[in-house]
Amino acid sequence: MSNDIDQLRLDRRRVMQATAAAAGALLLPATSFAEDAPRKGGTLRVAMPYNPGSVDPMTGRNLTDFNVLYGVFDALVDFEPLTLELKPGLAKSWKFEDLKTLVLELQDGVTFHDGSPFNADAVKFNLDRYKNDPRSNVKSDLSSVESVEVNAPNRVTIHLNKPNVGLPVILTNRVGLMVSPKAIQEKGPNVDRNPVGTGPFKFVSWQDNDSFVLARNDNYWKPGLPYLDGLNMRIISELNTVARTVTAGECDVALNLQPQQKIVADRASGVVTKVFPSLVPYLAFINYGRPPLDNLQVRQALNYAINRDEINKVAALGLGQPSDTILSKAHWACDPATVNYYTYDPAKAKKLLADAGHPDGIEIETIGWADQTAMQRQEIIISQLAKVGIRVKLTPLSPQQAVQAFMIDKKGAMFISPSSPFADPSQFYENLFGKDALRNPGRVELPGFRELLDATMDTPDQNARKAAFAKLQRFTVENALSLVQFIAPAIGVMSAKVQNYKDGLPATPKFTEVWLSA
Amino acid sequence: MGKILRLVGRRLWQLLPIIVFATFVVFSLLQLVPGDPAVVLAGDYASEQRIAEIRQLYGLDQPFLVQYGVWLLHALEGNLGRSLLTSESVSQLILYRLPNTLLIAVYALVIAGLVGVALGVAAATRVGTRLDAFITGLASLGVALPSFWLAMILVATLSLGLHWFPTTGAAPLLTDPWSAIMHATLPAVALAVGVIAELARQVRSALIEVLNSQYIRTLRAKGLSSGAVLWKHGLRNISVTLLTLLGLQVNRLFSGAVVIEAVFAIPGVGSLVATSALNKDFPVVQGVVLVLVVIVILINLVVDVLNALLDPRAAEA
Repeated sequence: MSNDIDQLRLDRRRVMQATAAAAGALLLPATSFAEDAPRKGGTLRVAMPYNPGSVDPMTGRNLTDFNVLYGVFDALVDFEPLTLELKPGLAKSWKFEDLKTLVLELQDGVTFHDGSPFNADAVKFNLDRYKNDPRSNVKSDLSSVESVEVNAPNRVTIHLNKPNVGLPVILTNRVGLMVSPKAIQEKGPNVDRNPVGTGPFKFVSWQDNDSFVLARNDNYWKPGLPYLDGLNMRIISELNTVARTVTAGECDVALNLQPQQKIVADRASGVVTKVFPSLVPYLAFINYGRPPLDNLQVRQALNYAINRDEINKVAALGLGQPSDTILSKAHWACDPATVNYYTYDPAKAKKLLADAGHPDGIEIETIGWADQTAMQRQEIIISQLAKVGIRVKLTPLSPQQAVQAFMIDKKGAMFISPSSPFADPSQFYENLFGKDALRNPGRVELPGFRELLDATMDTPDQNARKAAFAKLQRFTVENALSLVQFIAPAIGVMSAKVQNYKDGLPATPKFTEVWLSA
Repeated sequence: MGKILRLVGRRLWQLLPIIVFATFVVFSLLQLVPGDPAVVLAGDYASEQRIAEIRQLYGLDQPFLVQYGVWLLHALEGNLGRSLLTSESVSQLILYRLPNTLLIAVYALVIAGLVGVALGVAAATRVGTRLDAFITGLASLGVALPSFWLAMILVATLSLGLHWFPTTGAAPLLTDPWSAIMHATLPAVALAVGVIAELARQVRSALIEVLNSQYIRTLRAKGLSSGAVLWKHGLRNISVTLLTLLGLQVNRLFSGAVVIEAVFAIPGVGSLVATSALNKDFPVVQGVVLVLVVIVILINLVVDVLNALLDPRAAEA
């Protein structure tokens, strides 16, 4: 509480300072403003821990691929990074003619980096490729698309086989990114490493696990943008080393860091640490298709037995958001009413266990990650659960082996891990709790889930969707289908020269409007 | 000379079976490690169906021996294939990264050779003195120090504190030699310390033995200066031991590079093989193993040839 008051005071002080500064600024000659106006030029040196899987949106696979994807490619639909509000991208407008027909009007005069035109044919080519190519990892994103029809050079109609009002949101993501059809036809699978899009930066070079270089697209269709001459990205797998490149002045921005690196960066001078909300939940996936976690009371006992505030303080240095639901409070579709549905209550957890027939406690086979930070987080959870008699038998594995063990070989009853978010919340729920979802190894769908999920996809009205998501969220929380602990913070460490950098909610940074001060 | 040529010929003949054996063992080990590259390739979008499709697409559903056979056939044709994970050509990956690893390994070997031998000689010629005790103590410490810890201390003091050296990365030796040397200095020092310690201890004990031998006593009796005894006769006699030791240390440097490259974010083959092995990117692991096996065998060959030149009896062994 005292923290909140301090925050309030600080804010008030800041407001007063800002007002004074603004009043002072009015008295100054206009040229003084030039300092704050975006400055063109300069190359941004970026450090990041993950090598892109592929820079073809179709064959890439990880969220962190977007560190480079949004540089080279534009999506059909764009979004505000901090509110996720949709805005025009390569499609200047879109409209559902009915629940199964989406019409896109495209921007005029846009060309790909190879000089070929962007038009309705290119959209059809790309969507068909994402949907049908054997190498496509993203077919499921377009499973509701029946066909794509070119009506005019700048008009496309997408026919759906079932209502999916989340499609415009999905078109902000991989399947909305437009690759030059000419490049694909000429290079074949080599577009994996030679991306050609319409984006603010052109691809220059990529050395695996070392560097990724992009240069300004001088013919970018958004006038005056981008501000930067280019991006020199370094790929360094060790997180502390990534942060160190910025504190040592070798890079300007470090991406995808953990709270632990913030402590070190805070000590350095000339370096700014920014904490953004993210959409990444840290949770335990649950196999509720078989004993012991097919029992609702046991799952609820798990949820009452963990102290989310404590986990957030220790594992995320208090920078995350304690939560029992997969959607971040910052997301428009999240209903705050059930975000803290399970308050820490060990007595209640014990009673639920006893009622479920486990008065002497229970052993739960659990799979987790083996790295140091994950072990630390897991140990807190294990010790909290032990207090109510839940004995966790942990098998720590590498992330990839853990996925294999829990989701494919169906070992263990729980799997403690973070989860990548999905563009539309309906995809998030489908991929975690749907009958065929990999993350749902019991392959069981609780009665009522499908109807609630479908209801989120058959009304384009955002308020109505929000209400439908609130019901779905309550359903998954009340049924304790997962054991969410907190929503992770996104940490960015950067030099004070870097301006206008926003690491949006989906943790997919865009550098189009970033600039470097003199 | 004929004997030496026969030695080279014999060794080169052994190259092929050793390569096949080494790559087969590594390939088998990779198969034994749990985990499936198809899961990595499917990533965030994985579904059981997609993982099965990927296995088929990349031939990962083929029997183990078939997969190895296909790899070996292509490798014999000079085609090391492409990375499963990033579709980059494996030979490109290795060509880009090998010079960085070679630079720090050779640099470390030079530092270790100069410092290690000097320390060993200094200790051996002053046995029982405080200097000897100091060097022996230092050598024990050097053997015990983990190189990654030392690397982090070097970074914290010399590069982050004093800004004498860059903290991370590498530069191309041919186009920017000064920057390349500056980038490689701290990693090479961190790598060299263990080797220095090893060399100092071995040189010391070998030299003490030689200096106590009867022929040295004869040389001294004949009136030779102690400098001449040491440099002309003492060191020449331990040169075979020294050479063998250096050859063995090269292997150690390559394995040490895996850790050091991670600390300094150097794009070398060490970090390449580490990331690829973790993700079961077997074409890359196999390619790197192949190249490293060839390098190690060639270095051993050079050591053997030099040994034979120094001591003709070695060529007959």
